[in-house]
Formats: sequence, C-alpha cells, structure tokens
Amino acid sequence: MNIKNHKRNLRKIHISVIGLFCLLCVFQLCEKKQNGGQQKDSKIHITYWCASNQDEIDLAQYLVDQWNAANDSIKVKMQPIPASQSSEEVLLAAIAAGTTPDICSNMWPGAMDDFIASGGLVRLDQFPDFVDCISERVPADLLKTFLAPDGHFYQIPWKTNPIMIVYNKNIFRDAGVDFIPRTYSEYIKAGRKITRDLDGDGNLDVWLSHRDTKPIWWQRFFDYYTFYIAASGGQTLFEGSEIIFNNEASVKVFDFFRQIYKEGLFAKTTFIGDAFILGKLATQIAGPWHVSHVEKFRPPGFEYGIFPVPVPDDYEGPVYTFGDFKNISIFGTTKHPEATYAFAKYLVTAEADLKLLEFTLQIPIRKDLTENPLFEDFFEENPNLVYFAEQAPYTRGMDGVSDLKEIFDAISQEYEACAIFNRRDPAQAVENAARRAKVIMEWNRSR
Amino acid sequence: MSMPYVVYFCIFVAFPLAFSFFLIFHKWNIVTPMEWVGLRNFNRLFHDIQFFKSIRNTLVFLAIHIPLQIAMALFFAMQLNKKIKFRGFFRALFFLPVIVSGVVITILWEQLYSYETGLLNLILTRFGFYRIPWINSPEWAMPSIAIMATWKNVGLYIILFLVGLQGIPKYLYEAAEIDGAKPIQRFFYITLPALNNTMLLVVILSTIGGFSLFIEPFVMTGGGPMNSTLSAMLYIYNQAFYFGHMGYAATLGFFFALVILMVILIQKKVVERE
Amino acid sequence: MEKKSRIWVYITMTFGGLIFAYPFLWMLSATFKPEMEIAEIGLMSANFSLDNYRVVFNKIPIGRALLNSIFVSSCVTFSAVMFGSIVGYALSRLRFWGRELILGIILFTMVIPFQITLIPMYILMVKFGWVDTYLSLIVPGMISTFGILLFRQFFLDIPQDLIDAARIDGCSDLAILFRIFFPLSKPVIITVGILSFMGSWNDVLWPLIVVRVRELMTMPQMVTLFKVGGQAESQISSQLAAAALLAIPIVIVYAFFQRYFIESMATTGLKN
Repeated sequence: MNIKNHKRNLRKIHISVIGLFCLLCVFQLCEKKQNGGQQKDSKIHITYWCASNQDEIDLAQYLVDQWNAANDSIKVKMQPIPASQSSEEVLLAAIAAGTTPDICSNMWPGAMDDFIASGGLVRLDQFPDFVDCISERVPADLLKTFLAPDGHFYQIPWKTNPIMIVYNKNIFRDAGVDFIPRTYSEYIKAGRKITRDLDGDGNLDVWLSHRDTKPIWWQRFFDYYTFYIAASGGQTLFEGSEIIFNNEASVKVFDFFRQIYKEGLFAKTTFIGDAFILGKLATQIAGPWHVSHVEKFRPPGFEYGIFPVPVPDDYEGPVYTFGDFKNISIFGTTKHPEATYAFAKYLVTAEADLKLLEFTLQIPIRKDLTENPLFEDFFEENPNLVYFAEQAPYTRGMDGVSDLKEIFDAISQEYEACAIFNRRDPAQAVENAARRAKVIMEWNRSR
Repeated sequence: MSMPYVVYFCIFVAFPLAFSFFLIFHKWNIVTPMEWVGLRNFNRLFHDIQFFKSIRNTLVFLAIHIPLQIAMALFFAMQLNKKIKFRGFFRALFFLPVIVSGVVITILWEQLYSYETGLLNLILTRFGFYRIPWINSPEWAMPSIAIMATWKNVGLYIILFLVGLQGIPKYLYEAAEIDGAKPIQRFFYITLPALNNTMLLVVILSTIGGFSLFIEPFVMTGGGPMNSTLSAMLYIYNQAFYFGHMGYAATLGFFFALVILMVILIQKKVVERE
Repeated sequence: MEKKSRIWVYITMTFGGLIFAYPFLWMLSATFKPEMEIAEIGLMSANFSLDNYRVVFNKIPIGRALLNSIFVSSCVTFSAVMFGSIVGYALSRLRFWGRELILGIILFTMVIPFQITLIPMYILMVKFGWVDTYLSLIVPGMISTFGILLFRQFFLDIPQDLIDAARIDGCSDLAILFRIFFPLSKPVIITVGILSFMGSWNDVLWPLIVVRVRELMTMPQMVTLFKVGGQAESQISSQLAAAALLAIPIVIVYAFFQRYFIESMATTGLKN
C-alpha cells in the first residue's frame, strides 16, 4: 500500500478516535452541567451527604428543605451516601478521587484517623465560635473523646445509638418468663424456655434471638463488642495504642455466645422478612433506630419493651453499652467553608435535634435531652426512647485507630470459629485474635 | 491502522502491568504517600494464612465444580445429540443461566439455599429428608457455591460438547456396533477420546472462570462461614478496597496469577497425556 | 432409536429442563407474592401484586441505572466492533513493521489474568480523574483483544482479489474495510457485538470499584449494592424483584437473538 494512503488512513482513525472521545466528553459535560448548571448565579451551593437509610434520607430532606426555604444565599443539595457495604469505604475512595461533598453527617469516629491523615477534613476549631457552640450541646467528658491526636477537632458529635435489648412481651409471657434477664445465666435461662417448637413439626419456631453471623467486621459491633463493653465496665479495645481486649471480659463474652449457639438459642439461619416483627424472635440486640422500625411495622397487639445488655453473673455496677456514634464533618474540598459551617451549626440546633428524634428515633448527643422542655412532648409520646436517652451517658464508641477494621475482622474470624461453630476454646480464640491484631498493627505501623 | 490498539495497550495493559510490578515493593493506601518496603510484601504474603486458605478454597471450588460441570454437560450434550423434538427449546433453556448476570443467579440461589424457607430444603423435607444447611455451614458452603456455578455455566459447556460430538464421524459408531460394542464401551472408546480437545478446552475455561470467583461469595456469603468461601479474588478485593493495602493486594494478585498459570500448565499436561 | 430409550431421553430432558427453568419461574412468581408466601414450593398465589417492584423503584433509581447500563454497554460494544475490525484488518491484510510483534503482544495479553492489572487500573482511573464518570466504565473496555483476534481470523479468509479490485477503484483501506469487508462479516460482527455487550452488561466488579455515585451506577452494580448494602432491609421479595428487573432486559434480547447468542458464546470457547 502506498504511504500517502496509509497516512490518510491514520488521520482518519485518529479523527474517529478523537471523535469518540469528544462524544464521551460531551456526555460527561452534560452530566456535570446537571449537577452544577445553576452554579453561575451568585448563590453558594453546598452538597450534603447523609446516611442512606430511609429515615435519615427523610430527615435530611426535611432539614434541607427548611434550610433552603429560610436561606436565599446558601442553597444545600442533599444526597444519600452512595450505597455500599460501608460508608467509610465510599468516603475514603471519594477523598482519594477528590469527589467528596462539602459536608457529611455520617462520619464514623472509628475511621477518623484515616480521614484526618489523608488531609480530607476541615479543622473545625478554626471557626472562632466552635468550642463554645459545641460545649453547650455535648457533655465535656464525651467531647474529649472526639479530640483528634493532633489536639484539634474535625468532627461535630451528632448522634448515637446506644445498643440495648428490645424484647417481645407477648413471647416472654407465653413462655412463662416473668423476669427481665439481667445476667448471662438469666438470659440463657429465659432463652431455654422461649426457644421451642410450637406446632410440633419438629422444627423450632421461636428463638431467643438472631444475629447476622456473616464475618463482616462491623457485624461484631452488635454482638461481641456491645457485650464486651458491658462486661468490662465500659472499656474499649484499646488503651492509648495498646491492645487490651485480650482479657477476662472477652473470654466471658465468647463463652457466653458459644453457649447460646451451642444450645441453638440464637437462630443461625437467615429469615424471610423481619423475624422479630413476625414474632419468631423474643429479643433483638438493637439500637433506637430499631424501635422506630418496630413501631412502624408491628402488627396490632404486638407489645415490646427494652432492657439493658446482659452482663456476666458476677458483674456489679452500671451497665455500659456500645453506641454507634455518627458525627458531622466538613471536607477539605469545600469551596465555602464558612457557609458549610453555618449549615453544620444548623444541623445541631435543638430544633434540628428534635427532628432527628422524630424522624429517626436516634439519640442526639445533647446534655439537656431529658430536661429541655422542647423534647418533653416527644419523650411523653415515645416512652421507650427514654431508656435509650438515659443509657446514652453510659455509652462507649470506637477507638479511632486506623487498623480498626482489620482488627475487628480478626476478632470476627475468631468469634465465628469459637462462638458460632464451637471449634475453638474461648480463651484460645481471644488469644488468637489478640495475637493477630498485634501482627496487623506491627505490619501497618512498621517503617 | 493498529495504532488504536498500540495506544490502548500502552495505557491499559503495559502501564498497569509495570505499575503493578512497581506496587509490589510499596505500601500504599492511595490517600497517603507511597512508601518503599522492599520485599516485605512477599514476607507478609508467605506468612498470610488467610491468603493460602483463600487459594485452597478456590482450588476446592474447582475440584468440585469442574468434574460436576463436565459430567452434567456431557450428559445433557449426549441427550441433545440424539434426534429428539424440542431440541432447540431445550438448548435455549439450558443456555439461559449463562446469559443472565451472576448477580441475579446469586440472589436467586441464596433464596433457594435458605435453610428454613428455601425451595431446596422445602423439597427435601417434603420427601422426608433432613434439611441441608447449604450456605450456613463451613462444610457445605463451598460445594453449594460450586453447584450454583455449575448450574449457571453448564449451558455453555453443553454447547461446546455438542459441537465436539457432532464432529465425531458416524461410521465409527456403526463399525463399533457391528463389532458388538456395548453403549458403555462405545462411550469410553469412541466418544471420550474424540472429545479430548473439547475436554481440555472445558477444563481450562472453567479453571480460568473459577479462579476469578468473586461475585458469588461477595453477594451470598461474604466469604464465610469460617472463611470457607473466601475466594482468592475476594481476599484480594478486601485487602485492596476494604483495608486499603494497595501494594500488598498487588503482590497477592501477582502471586495468584502465577498460581493460575501453573495450574493451567499442569492441567494441559495431564489432559494431553490421557 | 428404540422406543424405550426414547421415552427415557424425554424424561431426563424434561427433568433437566425443570432444573433450569423452575428456579427462574419460582423467582418470577415470588416477586409478585407478598413476603410471607415466599416459602412455598408452588408458583401460584391469590395475592399477586406489584408491591415488591414498587418498593424497588421507590428505593433505588433503577430506571436511571438501566439507562446507564444501556449507554455504557452500547458504547463499549460499538467501539469494540469498530476498533476490533480496524485493528483486525490491519493485522490480517496490511504489511507493516512490527505486525508480528503486535500479534504476539495480543496473544500474550490474553494469558495475563486480569487479577494483576485490576489494582493499577483503578489507580489509573483515580489519576485520570475518571472515577465516578462514564469514562472509567467505557474507555477500558473500548478495545477487546479477543474481538481483534476474531476479526483477524475472519478477514484472513476473504479473498485478496476483492481488495485488489477495490484498490484499483481508488478505495482507501478504511473504505475497503467498511464498504467491502463489513457486508461480508455479519457473523463475526454479531459475535463480537454480543460478546462485548454481554461482558459489559454483566460486569459487576469493575463498576463496583470505579463508580460510587448512584447516578452513574450500572444496573448489576446497583442491584448488588441494593442487596449487600442493606437498603433492601432484608426484604427478600424486593431483592428478588430487583434481580428480576436486572434479568429481564437481557432475557428479552436473548429471546430474539437466541441462536446468535449461543453461537457467539460457543466461539469464545472454540477459538481460544
């Protein structure tokens, strides 16, 4: 073939390649335009990510609508966090890609180290009124736990979900359980009465409870970790940067769950539908959000109550529990830190907190929750929520350690082998988990 | 005119390969700066019990999946090779799961496998058998996933075997029949040897497919129970995108690719010899 | 064939057919049933309704995901056919420096497991700023090495006379490719088209990694996340409804082009 021809061809190909790219780019621009098309006017636009469950989407929508109606110059656009297995994953990826929103209200303290280390967050105490503002709302000792290692604040403590036990009063009554279980042995005793075959077909119909046994690290928050905090009187996995969970409390928790699964008191299967609401489970380890779920879906005549997490038989003192804190942070990618901060402050006003309670039945981190007359009506209407509000001070969160996921993963593996499948001795399992956790930390820290 | 490919190759094949090699010697979580660690990623790999478990799991999957697949595919292909009505219909039906997304199949089968309410256990109990804890027990979980994968892919291999069967000359069978060979003898002395090439193909294709086992455990079991369905791909994904160990995950990927190549070479040797 | 064995064949085939068809039917019927009735072997129910689909549509923008999937898969398919045929043409009918080298590279890349390049590819997307854009979904799939090989194989068998005649008429290579080769290559175009389309349509791992915003998610990705991300709130019938919605488009296409699908997929194997 002649060279001229070849060159012409090459050019044609290049044109066609470029053409295709242009087409893509145009499409891409259209995308961008949809998002930021109105940005030409003088108004400030803020993107706000909220958690992706329906209650919180509704809450965020309500708050954002209110805000937009009252504010002409700062317009907020709400968007649920892109669904994934965990929102931290999404946020970190977004930081890496520079596609973070201006503000997010689903920040998990356990992942803070990573977020701060990656420089993705705005330091909040640079705003002069931050400390005053926040101290008014959050109890001082709790606020301290959210201070980053560098001595600055990067998060506004927003809400928590103290984990308690929700129980089906009807089932307790039918099984002849006339006491509220406080300790492990009482809980197991109740479970033995409750877990049985009702219709005589050889299959169990009611169980004491059920937990997702998939070894996904965060699933352990709601069984091992909750019970560990309770059994250890409010300890977390770390003290400073030292692992301290290889102790008696952990072994007791492992042993307790092993007993539960060995006797089949917790169902091991997956259910169709919500088994608690269908009356197949007597208790559920749950936070206040679950009460909202039960309230919404319970059939007529379905009575339920709430009690604190069971503790080892020899435990004395107040019952602590795990609380899943979710906080508000502003991302470094924002072009309008001041405006975003103003919106953040709006999200933690007493009025917004009342809406938070009403929409999601989750507990705002607020000193005056049980005293402020603003909330009085709400707690009168939702007496069950008072338990959670009262539990809130005895709530512990996560250590903000960057290897936390992997450490929970290691615990998860051992928990599964020991508690669920009974193939390892509790003491041995706890030992293994601690050893693996140490290896993980050594590896991740070593330079 | 092959410019587009050369450009594509440089960006999407050569660069990632080189970069992957580069990553092997680094520790990096994308957001913080990269850090040179020499051969420490390998050191970690050789002490990583979970990774070897995940490779073992993948091999277990293959060990169940491949024979089952060959047996099923060969059986149905031989039925389809006979002169029967609705041949096209059956062929299309067997092929249906092949074209449907693995996500659909997995969501569907998770329900079929459900202990209390799944279709399979309902049928078992209807006939008076015990329930099987399909994906809920460490022993059954991987076989369950292998059965599901077989169900999904067997249609493709039926077609491949069918093509192979149609290539066997008729006179071979006629001659054998005259010699008084029984159907079983005909199968072992004519059909199987004639399908040798197809067999190799089927084995290699399902091996490659099996080594990239990801979406099934990802959706269905998350790798459990007791890591019994943690496939190597799932483990690499977790290391990279869950725990943010990009360098280590690249090392795992590299090592795993070597394992794949080795297994395929061994398979080729074995099948060719037979 | 004797009658007895004939009946036997029909019995096994019907049984086999049931094994493959019944789960799909069961799933379809379950999507119309209320949650409580799923645990049944049979298909019928007095309470059929569209509620489960309503739940899915209310919770996730699955219509948008469908459009995304169609857009992405069409782009990938179109460009895989275009580039595949252009490069295939060059490798089969043109002589130039490095041709054998390129061919060797292509064969080599086919043995590289994608496991090695997955992570660098993601990082590449991050560096290009393509994460959360259509580009990351489309561009890496624009050229299919397998497509190139299929086109090359097919073009090798087209007689040289046709090219020579066209050359005399002053046709350029592209004109030869598109005016003369294309009309002759319908089977291979369909094959490459279907393979690329299926590959792109059903891929979950890659979109899962590079796309995090809902607006750009492809359909299989969205359904996966609906399932594992907890939005389905463990409502099984709505999970199944989402799965059914994901299956329906491709099943419809399959119903029309069934023969091509089977033939194309079979060539994947045979040409390897």
